[in-house]
Amino acid sequence: MPNNPLCNPAEHTLSRRRMLGAATAGAAGLGLGAIFQPAVAEELSRNDRQVLLMWLDGGMSQLESWDPKPNTRFGGPYRSIGTSLTGVRISELMPRMARQMHRLAVVRTMKTEDPNHSSGVPKILRGHPKDRGVTYPYMGSAVAKMLGPTASGLPPYVWVKPGNGGFISKHAGFLGAKYGAFAIGSGKPPTNLVRPNSISDSDDAARQELRERFNRRFAARRHPGPSEANSYVYDVAQALMKHEDLFDAETLSAKDRERYGDHDLGRNTLLGRRLLEAGVRFVHVQSYGWDTHGDNFNAHASRVPKVDQALSALLDDLNQRGMIDNVLVIVMAEFGRTPRINGCVGRDHWPNAWSLAMAGCGIEPGVVVGETIADGTDVATEPYDIGHMFHTWYQALGIDSSHHEFTNGTQPLPVAHDDMHAVKELLS
Amino acid sequence: MDTRWLMFAAPLAICSFVSADEPLHRRIDAQIQSTADAQGIKLQPPAGDAEFVRRVYLDLAGRIPTADEVRLFLADESPGKRTTLVDQLLAKPGFARRMADQFHVMLMERRGEHEEWTRFLRSAFGRNAPWDEIATAIIQPDAEDEHLRGAAYFMTARLVSEGAMADVDVPGLTRDVGRLLAGVDLQCAQCHDHLDIEDYTQQDFQGLHMVFENVQVRRDTKFPAVSEKLMTEKKQYMSVFIQKPEETGPVVPGGREVEIVTFEKDREYATPPDKKKRIAGVPKFSPQRELAAGLTAKDNRLFAKNIANRMWFAMLGRGLVEPLDLQHAENPASHPELLSMLASELAARDYDLRWLVRQLALSETYQRTSLLADSEAAPPSDSFAVAAQRRLSAEQLFRSVLSATGELSRHGVALDAPPDSVDAAISKSDELKKLQASFKKAYANPPKEPELEFAPTVEAALFVMHDEALLKLLTPREGNLIDRLGKMEDQDAMIDELFLSVLSRPPTAEDRQDAAAFLANHAGERDAAIAQLAWALLASTEFCVNH
Repeated sequence: MPNNPLCNPAEHTLSRRRMLGAATAGAAGLGLGAIFQPAVAEELSRNDRQVLLMWLDGGMSQLESWDPKPNTRFGGPYRSIGTSLTGVRISELMPRMARQMHRLAVVRTMKTEDPNHSSGVPKILRGHPKDRGVTYPYMGSAVAKMLGPTASGLPPYVWVKPGNGGFISKHAGFLGAKYGAFAIGSGKPPTNLVRPNSISDSDDAARQELRERFNRRFAARRHPGPSEANSYVYDVAQALMKHEDLFDAETLSAKDRERYGDHDLGRNTLLGRRLLEAGVRFVHVQSYGWDTHGDNFNAHASRVPKVDQALSALLDDLNQRGMIDNVLVIVMAEFGRTPRINGCVGRDHWPNAWSLAMAGCGIEPGVVVGETIADGTDVATEPYDIGHMFHTWYQALGIDSSHHEFTNGTQPLPVAHDDMHAVKELLS
Repeated sequence: MDTRWLMFAAPLAICSFVSADEPLHRRIDAQIQSTADAQGIKLQPPAGDAEFVRRVYLDLAGRIPTADEVRLFLADESPGKRTTLVDQLLAKPGFARRMADQFHVMLMERRGEHEEWTRFLRSAFGRNAPWDEIATAIIQPDAEDEHLRGAAYFMTARLVSEGAMADVDVPGLTRDVGRLLAGVDLQCAQCHDHLDIEDYTQQDFQGLHMVFENVQVRRDTKFPAVSEKLMTEKKQYMSVFIQKPEETGPVVPGGREVEIVTFEKDREYATPPDKKKRIAGVPKFSPQRELAAGLTAKDNRLFAKNIANRMWFAMLGRGLVEPLDLQHAENPASHPELLSMLASELAARDYDLRWLVRQLALSETYQRTSLLADSEAAPPSDSFAVAAQRRLSAEQLFRSVLSATGELSRHGVALDAPPDSVDAAISKSDELKKLQASFKKAYANPPKEPELEFAPTVEAALFVMHDEALLKLLTPREGNLIDRLGKMEDQDAMIDELFLSVLSRPPTAEDRQDAAAFLANHAGERDAAIAQLAWALLASTEFCVNH
């Protein structure tokens, strides 16, 4: 399919952008009655666990990163290098991570279903649960729901991405708009973040109180979705105003900027760390441009070192600050890339045998799970689907994923694929 | 190919107890009622007059009513006053503008604006042009007619490269023509038959696509224009799953494959191309003409149902078919007979949209309250048992804020002035021009995203909280709302005026109490307190939706 000249990639990006960018309160219509079991919510509200997901949109090649196959038919031009884990080798494009492999857990036998960006991205980010005719939340929305916001009052689920910001309620699925993603575009503060001097604190509080009062009265006998969604965006706006410094590059040390790298992924990962420190529950750091159907090797030579730099700086900082035990770090994409090298020296979409990585909270450090066969075209050991990873990550966060359920109206729904389970080797 | 659409042509079924001679709006209500009865759903009572007057002004004039307009309507005791108001609004220039704005957002999905396109829409709705004519102008733009030629912007705005490495997204144009003019999203049928939707075949996509692959953007005109190349052969294509060569001629959504007519060499052109003058020429066989004719043919049910469904969505907040661009056999309308009836009647009335809007506005279904019964859970939205809380466009909000805050009177224009006078006032004021742009930025979706449900954003909240130009509307300036209210000594009358101006209704007893208490607490700074009250009303959900 990727070689079909009719299949215009612009189509795929179009629908992906549409999916990522649309903000609608429609989901709010489903109500916010979907409450996590109260006892569990209470138990979880006590914890301070957080997540940083580094998403390599388009699909990073496993062969140029976590699962190199040098000197094989499809291995490509890069060598592998030894790591801080005896016997484990990764691509030479990741020298810094090679020194940190003992902090990381890598799965080399991901086998998922969908080879398309437009449908594959949401499937992976939702943990691809069984189809029950409902739209599941993305992991960020699900964690926002299950663990709630931290005491900071900041939006629990923040996207840091190149390009434009906004509020992406569609990620929330049946959980309702308020669990959507707050997107920060290019590290820029939202327009109008700063209150004009003409409005004092007390004036502002007074007018907001009035607004809420009128809203409650209007919503009392109407479908509550629109008013809830509207109140929520005002709450978030007010919480964000307290953190103007996050958007001020002046407050960054030059050393940090250099360590994470002066590129989108480096800057956004650094902002991600600061958001975790400020108390955001789930940070999604977005990197675009991994769909290397053409010129795969030059593209990866330029891109993988950026992941290497930003990720290793992040792990250093989380360790140094004592945050690593509470922060789960995940690095993945919607799939990997084909071992077969196409006519444009590219690699195409490959869900059949790919890799992802994780570290931190609840994760056993220094583990490599699974093997692919010699030429990388299939898994050699037990394959894992994204549902297995969701169970693993939720359990790492202290959520008993095989028992806890979302409630959609009156319909109980498992938080992760009910036929799958956590991968024990990955849990510490 | 063709039998698939037969089910869309199911004969018009009329509810047994409402005669076909009855006006359409009664037959609409009968259908909604009988479906609700069958599902055991109770329909909510009619909206109160204040609820109705705000709703119908927003829908038919693109703005809230002024306090005077509300008072006038509430005081009117004649039994037919709602019908009278609908007819008055439909006859005013504000209605044509509202339709032009609405179709601009629907058809362009915030890709941009162009004065020629604006002129096309305003002129078309200004003379209540039939929808089939408008659609024809879009598919086969007439560069010779200065009122119609701007329609080419629908294509030219989509046939642009979005960067050095990006191809011009011709498949995206194909997809949008299917989505917006026939209610079918053929995107997933580009490389193979649609995996989930049996009705959408790869031939449908490729047959429509070849029409637009044959189109070129003209560079020799100052206005948006396209030309066609010669088409002499069928298109070859192949499914990525079944590697078997297939071919097709142009295919009309909801219609059939068009036979390609060929001519002898050197006789293919009605107007021959001239390379020296860079004139592309006009081929005798025009796939665009064939597509336009087939799409707007009276028996094209997809075309008729698409526009009926979209107008229903515009007035009721939810399509009879949802999503709006997924009409197919396995995604039936919530009220199939109703949609079929709307489509047939609209086609029989030569696609007179003003007539359809009038019928919708007169229906009890449209005029129902958005209040829920006290003890009951909300009925499903596809029952239309209670009025929806609908999204307002950036255009509706801007115009409404100008009216509510009295900003227009400050610029010497009546609050109920027709759109052209408002435009003139805006164009004279840098402040208002800037504010208009800010409203679009805060409330419009990003390009290529349909604006459907109410979608509040943090950006919009911050805009309302902090934008200095917006807040300036709430400082007392000669002739504006705050100035007017500040000069009123009777507090009750002042609170009445505030609520009528902003929320288009009198305050309830509780509203009045809240407002009075707030004013009492801020006694030393009355103007500022009035402005705070007005701000809270403007920022409230009640102001931000059409309910």
